[in-house]
Amino acid sequence: MNVVYEVTTLVVIVLGLAIVFGFLGVMNLAHGEFIAIGAYTAYACQARGWPYLTAIPAACLVCGALALLVERVLIRPLYQRPFDTMLATWGLSLLLRKTVELVYGGGYKSLVVPLSGSVSVLGAPFPAYRVLLIVLSLAGTSVLVVWYRRSPTGARIKAMVGNPELAQAVGLRTGRLARNTFVVGTCLAGLAGVMVAPLTPVQPYMGLDYILKAFFVLVVGGLGSAVGLVSGAGLIGGVESAMSAIVDRTWGYSTVLLIAIVFLWLRPRGIFARV
Amino acid sequence: MGSSLASSAALLAALLVLPQVLGEFWAFQLALYFLYAVAALGIGICWGRAGFLPLGQGLFFGLSAYLSGFALLRFADSWWLLLLLPLAALASGLLAYAIGLLVFRGRTESGPYFALITLALSLFAFQVANTWNGMTGGYNGLKGIPGLPALDSFAATYYVAAVALAAAVGAVWWLVESPLGVLWRALAQNERRVGFFGHDTAQLKAIAFGASGILAGVAGALYAPQQGLVTPEVCGFVLSADLVIWTAVGGRGRILGPVVGAVAIGVLTAELRGRIGWWEIVVATIFIGVVLALPGGLMGLLPVRRQRSRGARAPVLLPAPPRQLAGGPVTLAIEDVSSIAGEVRILDGLSLAIQRPGIYCLIGPNGAGKTSTFNMLTGELPAQRGTVTLDGARVGVRTPHGMARRGVGRKFQIASVFPDLTLDDNLRIALWSGRASLRDLLRPALRRWDSALLAALRQRFTFLADGLRAAAALSHGERQVLELAMALIGEPRLLLLDEPSGGLSSEETQRVIQVIRWARQTLGLCVVIIEHDMAMVKELADHVFVLHQGRLLAEGDVQTVRADRRVHDIYVGASS
Amino acid sequence: MTPAPVFEFAGITGGYASSVVVRGLGGAVAPGEVLGVLGRNGVGKSTLLKLLHGFLPLRDGEIRHRGLDIRALAPAERSRRGITFAPQERIVFDDLSVRDNLWLMHPGRRLGDLEPYFQRFPRLRERLGQRAGTLSGGERKLLSFVRAFAEDASLMLLDEPSEGVQRENVEHMIALIKARQTAGTAFVLVEQNLAFAEAVVTRYLVLDQGRAVLAGERDAVTREAIVAHLGV
Repeated sequence: MNVVYEVTTLVVIVLGLAIVFGFLGVMNLAHGEFIAIGAYTAYACQARGWPYLTAIPAACLVCGALALLVERVLIRPLYQRPFDTMLATWGLSLLLRKTVELVYGGGYKSLVVPLSGSVSVLGAPFPAYRVLLIVLSLAGTSVLVVWYRRSPTGARIKAMVGNPELAQAVGLRTGRLARNTFVVGTCLAGLAGVMVAPLTPVQPYMGLDYILKAFFVLVVGGLGSAVGLVSGAGLIGGVESAMSAIVDRTWGYSTVLLIAIVFLWLRPRGIFARV
Repeated sequence: MGSSLASSAALLAALLVLPQVLGEFWAFQLALYFLYAVAALGIGICWGRAGFLPLGQGLFFGLSAYLSGFALLRFADSWWLLLLLPLAALASGLLAYAIGLLVFRGRTESGPYFALITLALSLFAFQVANTWNGMTGGYNGLKGIPGLPALDSFAATYYVAAVALAAAVGAVWWLVESPLGVLWRALAQNERRVGFFGHDTAQLKAIAFGASGILAGVAGALYAPQQGLVTPEVCGFVLSADLVIWTAVGGRGRILGPVVGAVAIGVLTAELRGRIGWWEIVVATIFIGVVLALPGGLMGLLPVRRQRSRGARAPVLLPAPPRQLAGGPVTLAIEDVSSIAGEVRILDGLSLAIQRPGIYCLIGPNGAGKTSTFNMLTGELPAQRGTVTLDGARVGVRTPHGMARRGVGRKFQIASVFPDLTLDDNLRIALWSGRASLRDLLRPALRRWDSALLAALRQRFTFLADGLRAAAALSHGERQVLELAMALIGEPRLLLLDEPSGGLSSEETQRVIQVIRWARQTLGLCVVIIEHDMAMVKELADHVFVLHQGRLLAEGDVQTVRADRRVHDIYVGASS
Repeated sequence: MTPAPVFEFAGITGGYASSVVVRGLGGAVAPGEVLGVLGRNGVGKSTLLKLLHGFLPLRDGEIRHRGLDIRALAPAERSRRGITFAPQERIVFDDLSVRDNLWLMHPGRRLGDLEPYFQRFPRLRERLGQRAGTLSGGERKLLSFVRAFAEDASLMLLDEPSEGVQRENVEHMIALIKARQTAGTAFVLVEQNLAFAEAVVTRYLVLDQGRAVLAGERDAVTREAIVAHLGV
């Protein structure tokens, strides 16, 4: 059951990056920091005594505004330079991390779990909040996938990604569409942060762990398909959970690293790539 | 050569004086950053010259630091250390070379994937160092490492680090100025083209990575005795990333850039981190700014010192050794070659043969497979069926550098010279093709090679004589001529020209025609030209091949082909 | 009395990156006219269209649409102004269905609006749900053609619409172009197929090596003159 939780949360975490990297080709190394920002926003809301649900619009607001700024200043000038995008966003992640550290201090913040108690799953008790997250993750991801496949905007994104010149020729304002896609992907990161905040130690460096794992999932699962994303998350999250349970956390992480290295070396486009 | 030694000595002198000025405490602080600077120099080679970014140098730094720590703990004050410490550095170099070969051999674009691989490797090394308590002391690391024998004081550690830094700078300078360094910079600009000059680009990149491994290794090996303590952090991501940031901010394109970055920014950060909370935010912003707008870093703000001033005495030119190629005219036979990608038949049972030297033109409508034929010949387009026979011997697996070594030269449709290199360097790279072995590439003398053909070309095209001009400053027509010259200097036996008159005015086209004729007579080679300019085809072609939908439709001299009804139909577009 | 041109260009010079592929090309079309751009491949026909629609940087020259200088407009903006561009390569969205290709920018369109096209090309209606990448080359050209025509634009830039298309469908294309001409649409048509061009073109522009070598109204230009520039 823990494995299910690990995998589904990983899917949500990676979803935002999958959108940004898979569709726009932007290697946003600061993605993890947006997750952290979401978590800190949740903390701030809770600290003010507001109900936890307010963290959702709050995180969207903060991440969205930041994403607009970042897209304009950093991402847009570097669209044709994926390597420099990677570096610039790494600088951004450093900046965001240090700013958060400056504002909130370097220590751990802990949040109160908004939904306490446990639920009986297959006979064993399991924390209710985690169940809620699993349900929300599955529901949210499915909704997004269906929306992408059916809606006109989803088709336009697909068109823009597959054939940017023709997209412009038919009158699609690709600049605007790319910007909006980036903002949505980044807000998803913030929402992921709100989701996991009560369950993980909230500290300025929390984003680092997520970003690396997220990239490895994308490398293994391949870009541009929901199936790939889920498979990648399944493989990475599953292996890590399994190894952590069987041996220990370090082995879990190390195995993930090894799998990632092998894929980066031999099959960088993922399990389902045709090459 | 002399300049690198002189500058290195000057740097060393400056460094040696520093402790008098700054005091012992500062000397000790600086010593650590001198070591980091040595490691950063390696990143300067890979990223600033060869064009790929190693994001996990912690792997090599840490490996050597641990090895050195073991050696010191075990053999303190013994003779063995003289052997073991350099070995610790060398181990990192070899590991880097091996990893480089493995990764670069498999793929043509390094880019972000290589960076991520090195990153993952360094993270893995961190995990290993952190948990392998038996060997590495785990989380707490190796403690109580003695200093280098007889060099135990604060001052001594400073001098050791200073000497190491000065020596490293000298070595890097020498490497960068060598022919190998020129090739690295060419790689960064157009890797594919370097392959066509007969160089194994994966090998060249692996060597650069190996060099960076040795540098990180030297730094790590000296780190252990200096700090007395080696913890898993030395393998980790934070150090690796810091080295990259210092290199970027200092300026990756200049030799001293990484040094400036590591020493200036590194030291400032260490000092100010505690006092000014926002210092690291400033550094991060500068880094972003560098990536966005200032790829040359801080050193990039300083103007480049010209290697030789215009009026200076020109260097003595050396004759290049002759090419080791089979004599006699080349013969080529392509038999029933097919190349299919998905549902598209790029080449469909293509068969054509060249028996004697001459000028052959390859014509046909769009998508007929003309450039694909060239790509197939040089190995960039895999063929599922059919054979290629060169000089009577079947050529199985083809690679650009392999074919170049067999005497197949190529000029691309889009002028692919190396824009940031001087004309001289561009021409020399072509001259080394097939003549310089890997070891030769370390000899500075190669940069003064010349050949009779090159001299003749310089007379024909006077702009080639202005050797210090950057290739980017050439007009489009001059660039096409330069690339043609580079293809000829290699003295190929079979020359593949892809639209040599592309974008040229009529007089420029005429000159190109004359050069091709002249080269054919002088070198006796065989030229295959893809052209759309029918006037050029009529003037030059001894024999014409007409391609259509991936196969040979017709061939013969120009008259025969013009009279062929089928050729007329495909050009005038009779409906299917 | 010829009406004022809806589209005119002069002195067009430019190409890819630093190279100059076309030099000093000029032309104009009034509503209902078809400017045929002919020439062997490699002479710069597609380059000219790309320069006209903003996909390549213009070294020199002027472009006016309805009297307005459109050189500063991005391609998407030019399309929104009522200029349709149908490229020669990568002509449809392979990953989208045929339906999505046609409805992409007009989600509210009704099926009936496209009926006149489906009647001539029933294959397209049959394959509405199919991924465009799985269509044959000729069918893809038909899809691109219908997509462009369904924009109801006042000016259409078409790059080799008949390439790989079967004879009977080419006849339909000619009929559709003619019908549109009567309705007042102007065309700049790049073609390799001389017979197709002859059926619809009102004015010729023949290129060789990036320059105009033959230009004039259809009555003023002989077939022999054109063929001389097309063949080997």
